[in-house]
Amino acid sequence: MTRNKRGNYPYAFLIPALAIFGILFLAPTLTGFYYSLTDWNINKKGINFIGLQNFRELFADHKLIAAFWHTIVYSISVTVLRNLAGLALALMLNESLKLKNLFRTVFFLPYVISPIVIGYLFTAIYNPGHGLINVALRAIGLGALAGDWLNDPALALASTIMVDVWRTSGFAMVIYLAGLQAIPVELYESASIDGSRYWTTFGRIVFPLIAPSLTINLVLSLIGTMKVFVMILVLTNGGPGYTTEVLNTYIMSAFSLGLYGQGTAANILLIAVIMLICFPVLTFLQKREVAL
Amino acid sequence: MKTWTKILLYTLCTAFALIVVLPFLMMILGSVKNARESALFGLDLPTEYAWDNYGKVLSKASVIRGFLNTIFISLATVILTDIAAAMAAFVIQRRPGRASRVSYYLLLVGLVMPVSIIPTIKLMMSLGIHNSYSGLILYFTAVNLSFAVFLIAGFMGSVPKELDEAAIVEGSSYTRLFFKIILPLLKTVIVTNTIITVLAVWDDFFGPFYLVSNSKKWTIVMSMYTFVSQYQTNWGLVFAFMMLMILPMLLMYFFLQRFIIEGITAGSVKG
Repeated sequence: MTRNKRGNYPYAFLIPALAIFGILFLAPTLTGFYYSLTDWNINKKGINFIGLQNFRELFADHKLIAAFWHTIVYSISVTVLRNLAGLALALMLNESLKLKNLFRTVFFLPYVISPIVIGYLFTAIYNPGHGLINVALRAIGLGALAGDWLNDPALALASTIMVDVWRTSGFAMVIYLAGLQAIPVELYESASIDGSRYWTTFGRIVFPLIAPSLTINLVLSLIGTMKVFVMILVLTNGGPGYTTEVLNTYIMSAFSLGLYGQGTAANILLIAVIMLICFPVLTFLQKREVAL
Repeated sequence: MKTWTKILLYTLCTAFALIVVLPFLMMILGSVKNARESALFGLDLPTEYAWDNYGKVLSKASVIRGFLNTIFISLATVILTDIAAAMAAFVIQRRPGRASRVSYYLLLVGLVMPVSIIPTIKLMMSLGIHNSYSGLILYFTAVNLSFAVFLIAGFMGSVPKELDEAAIVEGSSYTRLFFKIILPLLKTVIVTNTIITVLAVWDDFFGPFYLVSNSKKWTIVMSMYTFVSQYQTNWGLVFAFMMLMILPMLLMYFFLQRFIIEGITAGSVKG
């Protein structure tokens, strides 16, 4: 409806959402850029502008560098594994299995459980003495592979990654399934799952058509995993040493030391990494979708 | 499909399903074991059932408080988010123009950008809402609004515009049109958004951890965090607490699964 005597849809309706979001989300984000350039901390009365000093200190801190790389490794590993697992599950459930609804319900289940509960649950699963993983490995004669998953510096980060893959593969699956089910059956029914043509059809027809699902999955996954916090806090608290330290646990320790300016600067770094990784990925994938 | 393919698929699916289910089974069994047996993290049945684990957890004042706080806070957040998001989505979808577009893109920033938590604390202190229910409710609303607007605006397109025109021609105001005609038609998407918001509030650790230092106002996630550090030695109690904490979410999932899946796949297929 165009503008007429009776008026138009009132912009006033935007106010509640914009006010709440603007004041409680955008404002702190913007002031954060300023605070990251200040010496704001618990021991000082005033807040003084100190330029890029916080960032210089951050980049000189081994712990921050470690946290930075772990965040990226964590994010990319979880993203890749979650999408491989999610796609595999979706392809299996896209076949005519009688129990597929049951399987779908089960695979998605971990996603509705609080990450904190899953974190604690896996401290038990990873227990070196009695945890399910080591017990299972010993039972099948692979006792030599049994490890102290969360306390061995060589394994800890990988162990936290696997928990997140376990938790979120069902989520990726649901998005891939939605994409798969939107493909008209005629397009690929000629290629039965038994034939060797299955993978050809998958590569030429199915995969290009679920490109939007891939895009959304990759982007959501990259963004979500870079913000990882509670899972690491509960599983390893950043340890052993700094081996599982990520940006959000680093921000927490800066905060608890009262180094507010520096904590905020670390958060700016997190924002920058998310932007730097997500926008190229999004642009690249969307170009690809159009090309297909 | 050939039989052997079917067998292979069922075997694989069952194997994956076991990987998902066994940890939960361990938790369920552990929740009714005594301190010694629960610490063995096994899949065997308890020698004697310690049902009173649940009673012990529920007898802690902080646990009950945590549940009540979570219910109250999620209720308030849901009402605020649903109404604010539906109103905004209504105008954004119905009135194309620069103001709508800019508002929409601003709101979508929240889908990507992480929360700047330390400045948020400072802001809340100067507004006098740090460490308060209202501060936490507003925080949750702010972080959930972006997705809510995205979801509802997408759905709004399927509500016929002729309805608006008819109502306006008959002399209805836009406010009346929205609350009497549009809002009831958004029922499905509002239910979806409500569930997603409740799950988000129920799960969120970041908000209460940073914004509320008064333990009387903590949500259940924080109750669990402190409970575990206190009762680490008795896994039976910890498992029972976990069970109590996930029960509402599981019930919601099993009965309202369709809405959760719809919410998650909304917009994802179109890209």
